[in-house]
Amino acid sequence: MEVLEENDEEEQREEELMKALEISDEPHNIETKLSVDQVFVPSDVSDFDWSSIDISQLPSSYKTNSPREKKLLRIADHYLQQYTHLCPDRKPLFLYPVNECGIKKFVSTTVRPTLLPYTELYHWDGCASFVCDYLTMEPLKSPLIPPSLLYSPTTILKYQRGNCFDFSVLLCSMLIGAGYDAYCVNGYATHDICSLDETLEVCPLLRKPQEVPKEIMKKSNKYRVKSSPDMQSKFELQQEAKKKAETEATHKNEERGEEKVTEVEKPTHDPLYGLRVHAWVLVLSGKREVPEPFFINPFTGNSHSTMDEHFLGIESVWNHKNYWVNMQDCRNGCKDLIFDLGDTVRWEIMLSETDKPLQVLLDAEEENELFDRNMDDTEEEEEDTSFAMPPSWVAPIQISPREFETRCSQGKKVILYKKAKLEKWAPYLNRNGLVKRLTVYADLGCTEVVEVREWFKNREDMLDMRELNKQTQLTTEYFSPGHLLGLKVHIYKSMEPETERVMEFYNEARVDGLQKRAENASEIKEYFVGRDDFKYFQHTEFGKRGKKISVAGARTDINSRPIVQMKECFHRNLEKPADEDVAERVFLITEEMIHLTYHLKDKYITASKKDFFKPTENYRKQSEIMTPEMCITYQAGSSVKDKKLLHLYKLLQELAEEEKQLKQQVRQSEAEVLNILKIRENEEADIKLTVSIYNTERNEKRKQQYEATNAMEDEFPVHEEQDLDYLAPFLIQIGHPEKMTKGQVLRLRDDCLTDFKNRLIAKANIIQARFEKEVEELKKKNQQFQENQSQLSREEEAVFLADYSETMFCIHIVALRLNREKQTAPQKYLALEEKLRKDPRLAVHLSHA
Amino acid sequence: MSQSYNSIKPNVIDDEMLQKAVEERWPEDIGKLAKSEGIDFKDVTELQLSFRNILQIDNLWQFENLTKLQLDNNIIEKIEALESLVHLVWLDLSFNNIEVIEGLDTLVKLQDLSLYNNRISKIEHMDTLQELQIFSIGKNNLTALEDVVYLRRFKKLRTLNLTGNPFCEEEQYVLFVVAHIPDLVYLDFKLVSDTTRELAVSKYHYLIDPLEHEEAQALAQLEEKLAKQKELEYHKTAFVEYLNGSFLFDSLYAEDTEAAKLAYLPGVDDLLQAYRKDFVSVCENLFNYGLKEYEKREAEVSEFYKGLHEALTANQQEGRKIILDFENRNKERLDEIHHATSYNIAESKRAEYNEDILQLSETLMTLEMQTVDQLEELIKDFEKNIAVIASTFIENVKGMMAQCRDLENRHHEKLLEISINTLEKSVKNELDEDLPDDVRELLVDKTTLVNMVNTSHNVHLLKIDMRECDILSNTYRWQASVTGKAFQNEIDRNRNRVKEIFQYIDNLQEQLDSIELLEPPE
Repeated sequence: MEVLEENDEEEQREEELMKALEISDEPHNIETKLSVDQVFVPSDVSDFDWSSIDISQLPSSYKTNSPREKKLLRIADHYLQQYTHLCPDRKPLFLYPVNECGIKKFVSTTVRPTLLPYTELYHWDGCASFVCDYLTMEPLKSPLIPPSLLYSPTTILKYQRGNCFDFSVLLCSMLIGAGYDAYCVNGYATHDICSLDETLEVCPLLRKPQEVPKEIMKKSNKYRVKSSPDMQSKFELQQEAKKKAETEATHKNEERGEEKVTEVEKPTHDPLYGLRVHAWVLVLSGKREVPEPFFINPFTGNSHSTMDEHFLGIESVWNHKNYWVNMQDCRNGCKDLIFDLGDTVRWEIMLSETDKPLQVLLDAEEENELFDRNMDDTEEEEEDTSFAMPPSWVAPIQISPREFETRCSQGKKVILYKKAKLEKWAPYLNRNGLVKRLTVYADLGCTEVVEVREWFKNREDMLDMRELNKQTQLTTEYFSPGHLLGLKVHIYKSMEPETERVMEFYNEARVDGLQKRAENASEIKEYFVGRDDFKYFQHTEFGKRGKKISVAGARTDINSRPIVQMKECFHRNLEKPADEDVAERVFLITEEMIHLTYHLKDKYITASKKDFFKPTENYRKQSEIMTPEMCITYQAGSSVKDKKLLHLYKLLQELAEEEKQLKQQVRQSEAEVLNILKIRENEEADIKLTVSIYNTERNEKRKQQYEATNAMEDEFPVHEEQDLDYLAPFLIQIGHPEKMTKGQVLRLRDDCLTDFKNRLIAKANIIQARFEKEVEELKKKNQQFQENQSQLSREEEAVFLADYSETMFCIHIVALRLNREKQTAPQKYLALEEKLRKDPRLAVHLSHA
Repeated sequence: MSQSYNSIKPNVIDDEMLQKAVEERWPEDIGKLAKSEGIDFKDVTELQLSFRNILQIDNLWQFENLTKLQLDNNIIEKIEALESLVHLVWLDLSFNNIEVIEGLDTLVKLQDLSLYNNRISKIEHMDTLQELQIFSIGKNNLTALEDVVYLRRFKKLRTLNLTGNPFCEEEQYVLFVVAHIPDLVYLDFKLVSDTTRELAVSKYHYLIDPLEHEEAQALAQLEEKLAKQKELEYHKTAFVEYLNGSFLFDSLYAEDTEAAKLAYLPGVDDLLQAYRKDFVSVCENLFNYGLKEYEKREAEVSEFYKGLHEALTANQQEGRKIILDFENRNKERLDEIHHATSYNIAESKRAEYNEDILQLSETLMTLEMQTVDQLEELIKDFEKNIAVIASTFIENVKGMMAQCRDLENRHHEKLLEISINTLEKSVKNELDEDLPDDVRELLVDKTTLVNMVNTSHNVHLLKIDMRECDILSNTYRWQASVTGKAFQNEIDRNRNRVKEIFQYIDNLQEQLDSIELLEPPE
């Protein structure tokens, strides 16, 4: 009977799953729905009718109580009576609400610890964000008392909606499954928490990370230069400081005024403050490296300190094993509570002996394991003196990958924060890969958009995030590594070339080490990192277009802007002496000049310099190719102008060459910018999403391939034997005649068979030889051992014995193989003969024979 | 060969030849320029003197910076006169008549050496060429294959050419060479394949293994020696060398023949042992103290230089800032003056600029004066601290040495006592022990004996005094040198800076003066 029922259950579950899939298999439907309910309004949702849910297909454990559960209910009843007797002025406990089938179930048994097979869910924040994304929040029927109903987590998951208790039980089940020491909490919280109103919260994405003040270790040196006496008038300084303070004060006043305005927007005092019932999750320290206890609000998935002022009190906590009532004073909220559940004065336990204080870590774990083992085995009874919590009546929690990925109830979720709106989508739902959008407003009414941030996933162009600042009109795009040409960040106002833009690159991925390129109409600034030539900065200025085209006479770059000046800066190259190591190089194209500035020598304050004047065309025709006037040199620290003209000339030649290359390079970077812009435009015009090859569900091609290969394998079971052509070598010998005579055929067959026979014999011989060799060796070793036995130490003896047994093993194996070979050889021979007989090439003649 | 040798007139390397060789390497335009300026052989880095029938290498000492020298296809008989070309990387002496490898010891940077087609019969005299990568000695008279073992010392050798030598006829030639030079990549213009290498190793490992072992041992010994030397060096800088252990004590008795004789007296041996123990322990104390003080001194000096460096960097930055400010301000100044429309404007601008330059000079000099003051104070502090450290060290050393002397005195007294006792016994013929004859001779006269003991004592005291004196003088010397260096550095720095400022200002002035102004209106 039992078995049958279970089978039924299985079927039912499958059917449920199928239904769920059917629902989510209609993306068009979802999208149309999406457009309708663009804005998520929590109050509208309660129109879902829980009474209409289908309970007929639920397993029997949902509909009945086992004897142990009944006993538990009795114990709970007893406990409740005692409790009401002891604390008559406290509210009744939340102990055994009715489930979806109208059966009273103890709350602890509703918790069904489950570890789901998704890596994200191995960690508490993954679980919490999943629960808050996946379920739609429903307010409690009455905000002042706990609900009389508590549905199973499976039902909640199926319909994707629930109140705070449903949220907590589900989250708690997942957390315990993931190994956390988690508890459901029944208590009181502020209105904002209870009603999932985050409009007064700053969006977590906008919160600035707290800056850790860096401790600067400054050991004061005994040898310090005394600073020169301060000649500034103290009075003047004071006056200035005063003025500054005054202006600041006025500023502050203004700000305060503003603050007042914002404060007005805060809600008036809640009349039900401290009475609003809420349920959340408590995670205690000890397991999974949790350093100290914290709360998780299941509606938002955020963690809160146990001191958080939004949580106003705790009635009771429970997990899958026990139930504790808080006996501490909650007048100051949860600030002063101590979460040592083993402390019987502060926490009144229900099933006293079942659970030792959870502070004892090892015990708890062991019990956990024990529990896990017993979990599926519902019938096993532990008849101890004390009563153990019966296993959960809830069926295992299951989430399909599709459901897991889709996350939010219809693939979309909207959260309103203070001056911000956050929208979330499931991956692949939007064609452009959009998964998250944050809109920041200037005002509380959310009318004036300041900034829009969009996050993308699975985009082929590696776009990760786009930020649009409405005030400056700047668009910033962030890319993951892997975009063409190593693009990392792109800041721009418009996609038109030669306008203001900044591109940052993954310099590790680029040959030229380019890290950043800032551009506007008249200049390009390029920053480099880690180049072999120590260049870290390059600045190019452009002149007005079209002005000098005829003069320059350059046919190739008629459309490009004429370069006016190029400047390069270099880091110090320690292999060269400082005054030969160029720090800055400026090419003044229009003035035909080159300025070189060298690095500073140690302790020097003036840098060596060289200014070259490039020889003009007609000048060059004269015999003198280099004159002293063409170069003005300042050599720091040496008055001798020793550099010969020859060296200067060589240098000038080198520089001319460099200039040419640099020009080319500038043109290349211009071209690169254009190229990137074009690529970006194309990518934006036709957005493609990547699909992992492991994702068989989405990767259509892969799926088809996979199915195709499967089908192939089914149709053509591989027969290696058929592929081998025994006759090929012999046919080659006689030269592949079209037709063979009977004699030829017979000879062919005989050749083939004798060859096979020889091979079999050779094989057997090899095995035989090996066998003999091993035996011989064994004999030898044995003999040796016998001779030296008296002199051998114990260790040597052990070594010998090990060796001996190994050799014996080898011999045994070889003997087995020899035997098998002997048995199978004749069969193989016959099989080949048979095959040859059937061979179409020989069949004609052999069938006669 | 001999015929052609006779028919060729041997040449000598002279100025003319060198001039020509240098000029050949330049393109036309540079050549012209260079000619007009005169060639400086110091600037030449590459020189080719091939096919010139040179008999003797000479006159190359001027080419100090030469890195590549080709002397191939001459009739050179002896490698010589290359000692000064220490930067040489590539030397080609192929196709000559060289018989012995020699005269290469100073060319430590040599990477590529070709002695192809000569008359060399032995590989030798190349120990210093540790950078050698390519070595060609084909077509020579090398007969003994064992010569190749010599090449093992070149750890960077990758390419080797031995073709055409008599020993190449031998059957196992290739394997032998490959086995002995395991890192070789090319042998006789061919890549050494892995299979060859394996084969060679398997064939000759019986030869190679002991060789390797030997080399490893030699290396270990060398390292050990170096480490020891380094440690000694360290002790020396701490002025306490040979004080850890009984070195000093042993030295007391090293040249003391009397003491050796006296040691035979009964009871002296024990006394000596005790004395030795005490003495060594005092020495050890001194040694440890010396090391500790050394660390302290070093720390003090390094801290000073750190502070000095900080101050100088700050000063450099400040100076740099002043100059950069000035330069930015006056970038266009010269142009303006140059292009001024009228003489008056130009003149006034020029005066203005001149004023500015003076101003700059003033600022920089003030800054420098300030720095000098600051640094002087710093250095004086340093001097004071060093003096304190040195004097404490000296005090303590003196104290410990006094301990040594005390020990010696005490030992002396006891020894004297024993000696006299023994003498008395000996006189009374109560002496039991057998003593060597020369010792017995001593025990005749009291004065002789006492004199002897006294001499021994004096020798010891002298030794101790000398050691103490060593330490003290070293310490004084160190103190003087450290402070002197600090002062000298500062003086040099100051001079350099002042020179720099003047030079810079001069340069600016010159630039300003060089501008041709419009003619003043008459």
